[in-house]
Amino acid sequence: MADSWNTDTGEAVYRSRDAVKNLRIRVRIEKVTSTAVLSQHLQQQVLSQQDRGDIELETLTSGGDNEEELVVGWQEKLFSQYEMELFQSEAACQTPLDRQYHTEVKALNKSKGRRNHRIFTYTDHDRYTSCLPFHQLQHSTDLLTSTKSSPTFLAERMASVRHRRQDRRTMDCSIPKSKIVNWEPTEEFVKGSHVVNNAMQTMHIMGDLAPPGRLGQKDNEYLLVTIKTDGSGTVIIKPDFNKGKEPYRIVTAGEKREVWRLTVENVCTAMQPEEQEREQNMYKDLYVRHKEYLNSLVGQDFEMPPAGILRYLMNGEIVSAKGFEYDNLYIHFFMELPNNWSSLPFQSLSGVTQTCRAKTLGKENVAFFSYPFSFEAFYMSEKESEESVLQWPVIYFKVLSLDSWQRYRTEGYGYLLFPATPGKHTITCHTWRPLQTGTGSALRRFFIGGSPELEDHSYVRIPGTFKGERLSRFGFCTETTGSVTFNLHCLQQARAFVDATMLKKRRQKVFDQLGGFSQQGAVCTILEAFQRARRKMHEARESLPRDLVNTTSQLQIESSA
Amino acid sequence: MAELHIIGQIIGAGGFPQNSLFCKWGVHTGGAWRLLSGLKEGQTQVDIPQTGDMAYWSHPIDLHYATKGLQGWPKLHFQVWHQDSFGRCQLYGYGYCHVPSSPGHHRISCVTWRPLGSWQEQLAQMFVGGGPQLRSPDLIYSGADRYRLHTEAMGTVELELGIIMRHFDKYGVES
Repeated sequence: MADSWNTDTGEAVYRSRDAVKNLRIRVRIEKVTSTAVLSQHLQQQVLSQQDRGDIELETLTSGGDNEEELVVGWQEKLFSQYEMELFQSEAACQTPLDRQYHTEVKALNKSKGRRNHRIFTYTDHDRYTSCLPFHQLQHSTDLLTSTKSSPTFLAERMASVRHRRQDRRTMDCSIPKSKIVNWEPTEEFVKGSHVVNNAMQTMHIMGDLAPPGRLGQKDNEYLLVTIKTDGSGTVIIKPDFNKGKEPYRIVTAGEKREVWRLTVENVCTAMQPEEQEREQNMYKDLYVRHKEYLNSLVGQDFEMPPAGILRYLMNGEIVSAKGFEYDNLYIHFFMELPNNWSSLPFQSLSGVTQTCRAKTLGKENVAFFSYPFSFEAFYMSEKESEESVLQWPVIYFKVLSLDSWQRYRTEGYGYLLFPATPGKHTITCHTWRPLQTGTGSALRRFFIGGSPELEDHSYVRIPGTFKGERLSRFGFCTETTGSVTFNLHCLQQARAFVDATMLKKRRQKVFDQLGGFSQQGAVCTILEAFQRARRKMHEARESLPRDLVNTTSQLQIESSA
Repeated sequence: MAELHIIGQIIGAGGFPQNSLFCKWGVHTGGAWRLLSGLKEGQTQVDIPQTGDMAYWSHPIDLHYATKGLQGWPKLHFQVWHQDSFGRCQLYGYGYCHVPSSPGHHRISCVTWRPLGSWQEQLAQMFVGGGPQLRSPDLIYSGADRYRLHTEAMGTVELELGIIMRHFDKYGVES
């Protein structure tokens, strides 16, 4: 009869919101010996023949020293035979932890003795917990099939790295402000400070799998189960719970290769449903209170534009200007609002940047302005005017240079149309400057400064005085100059957008199911019509004079009373 | 009430005459904005790159704002300083930029400039260092007085920001 066992000994990760001290695990080990196999076989036979009325055989239990079952709690320290002997003498105690173990061992010896026999644990505080991987490194099977592979430098260093304990997490406290750097660290300091800061608490459940009578030697300790948790509810168990499948198999090294079976079960007490409900109510309360606190800080309201008006908010900066002829540039800009657009009275619609001396970047001379500006405009939509297309505001700017000898020249004219879509835009505008033919003006520009300027800045785009179908600029001489870069962040706000987003969200659900005309779609349209009617009624009500509203409400009260 | 999260880092700066740099940064908002959590100003460490021109700071920015209105959108300001081998600090540039208003990941290059004095001061600056500084950097935000300054272009501060906006669409804001 073939012995089947579970070969999947990988880690399993569990998440729980409960405190980890409620964790209980039942570990069972039993040695596979011939008597055990035989007794199993006999038990099976007896069970299958019970209806025959034979005498019940008392099966040979292979118990005693070859099997053990134990329920272990989180960080519960159970001593091995070796540790019992070690901590009995006071001389072996070096750290306070050792002394504590010594008192515990003495107390155990005085009372009825320890409840475990072969199975024992290493908790997070033990000094063996961190050196266990190193220990295993030398004795366990290597990663490679070649027999003579020693651990690499990195493997050795990682094995001796200390896993930092959870409570000593120095996140945002007690970092000394003065001596952050240690210029001459000692070897001890280096070893002690190279910690893996994943803040996991570890616990190893070990088994002493020596032949009976020879317990208490360190060579026969085998790792059965490793449990790791971090502070936020993750529990990692290696190997995973058996969950009714076959047990795991441990083969001991040494002259006699014995086989042991390992079964791991989760025996934590489940939470009562009332307690669960209470906990969930508490969480809900906490979140609601936090939300109310946030609301109280700022207030519930949000500034909205009046109905039917689009608010256009542009935050931008003039970043740089490059490729111009002369140095010491500054930019003078102003915004123009077309029809149906308005702005607040205190809003400044123009600005002048500082004068900047350019530097050479690559092949060009670039001047950095980094001039932030903020602009807010309102658009009032007129009813059903089909002729006028929506026109967006424009920024007209001119680039000028002023040098130390007070020579003032125009360097270029340009314009920037406000983007129609909200979001981030980086726009580079090219500029030109008007030229006068003939050497006189060029000489004047070079020696004295002073160059032709535009009288009407809007000529850059479409002149304000333009009425007609075709714009002709024939005969106007210009020269191409450099370019100016703007960074724009645009926001648009309107009451109509609120309904639009709700509509979009509802529509998505409808299209998911059937698409087109469906019962849900019809219900949605009815709901929308109802919302619209309700809103109109509210607006109408607001515009009514006060006394009319009062009399109607009085009438209602009388009729219901 | 709408909320805005600004999560990112000041990566570093480059393009300055010398590269042992540190940066003082801050965020300036209007009256309707309230900082719920995070530090809204700070100073990075001094970085001296061994190769290359760019000094890297990787300084974290993690801010949570709540607001009642769209005005006064947050603006970042930077002051890039240079620390030389003697420990003297010298101003290398001022930079200003807006925090982006569309959600997502943004890579921002904020250019900087430095005020220039008279030619005597510039000569002295070449030998001894120093140079004029703004008496109060907040004056820049009003924008009205900028035209009086004579500046020169300096380097660029690189940062990357992730913007998360909450409840803005409930109030009809498209971004």
